[in-house]
Amino acid sequence: MPHITFAAAIQRHIVCPEREVVAPTVGAALEAVFALQPELRGYLLDDQGQLRRHMAIFVDGHAIRDRQRLGDHVAPDSRIYVVQALSGG
Amino acid sequence: MTELSDQALLRYSRHILLPELDIAGQQALLGARALIVGAGGLGSPVALYLASAGVGQLTIADDDVVELTNLQRQIAHDKASLGRNKAESAAARMLAMNPEVAVRVIGERLAGQSLADEVARHDVVLDCSDNFATRHAVNRACVAAGVPLVSGAAVRFDGQLAVFDTRQPASPCYHCLFPEEGEANDGPCATFGVLAPLVGVIGSLQAVEAIKLLAGIPVALGRLTLYDALESSFRSMKVPRDPACPVCSGRSSGSE
Repeated sequence: MPHITFAAAIQRHIVCPEREVVAPTVGAALEAVFALQPELRGYLLDDQGQLRRHMAIFVDGHAIRDRQRLGDHVAPDSRIYVVQALSGG
Repeated sequence: MTELSDQALLRYSRHILLPELDIAGQQALLGARALIVGAGGLGSPVALYLASAGVGQLTIADDDVVELTNLQRQIAHDKASLGRNKAESAAARMLAMNPEVAVRVIGERLAGQSLADEVARHDVVLDCSDNFATRHAVNRACVAAGVPLVSGAAVRFDGQLAVFDTRQPASPCYHCLFPEEGEANDGPCATFGVLAPLVGVIGSLQAVEAIKLLAGIPVALGRLTLYDALESSFRSMKVPRDPACPVCSGRSSGSE
């Protein structure tokens, strides 16, 4: 099953443990997590369901291309990594 | 290229021993111009390493003054620097380490035309700032001028590093990775804290990448490096160009 991990910077705001999900796309993977943690939806996605602009999602080390519909394919053994931009210097 | 004096050959001998640098690489560094935006946690190691490495013309910009809370991690400053402009304080330390380089101080926040002008007169820009508005402004200026950008960020136990060189057709820009500052809220170090050497790790990595760029050593582009100090782990993620990026999609270097 695809494995989804949230970067530590996100965990500062909402505790979201690593999970295994059954999902063919990034969007479906997130929906599987939101079903368990609905409070995470508004942190990651805007009102239109698009990925918030200071977020990035990587599937098997590659940034997703579809930030609007989150339709990037996820393989059964994929690893999804959700990252938040940092600004501190 | 500048002929190296005996003193310079000795000072930079450990660089010159590296075949990837050699005398030509050191001469390139001595003839190079780097702009450091921010003289805080990241800017401190960046400034000290670029000065010690012999990057010939360094400009460091910061409008902030040194406070006691900075001294836990901002190693270019010391107790005598308290109340002094950070760029001035860092410049003094840089010149104490290596008086052979030229250091120019900008004691104000670079923005607008002054930012564009400063970026355009340098060979590389190191973003060591502490806010998204500056990060996006620096990125826009670098894309417009075709100057490579070495971006670092750090808070709590987490760090990020990326090199953007939009002179290369396949390279994304910062905006391709994180589209806008918008609602971003990772929290400043003053709110969430930051582990002292974390900024040393990320700032040192920025200095490494800048030296490679200036010396003509190939640099990995289109990559976001993530450092988690709690896990003691590095992750490397690939970032493509965004063909619809409003900042870099129209650049003359073409598309992927």
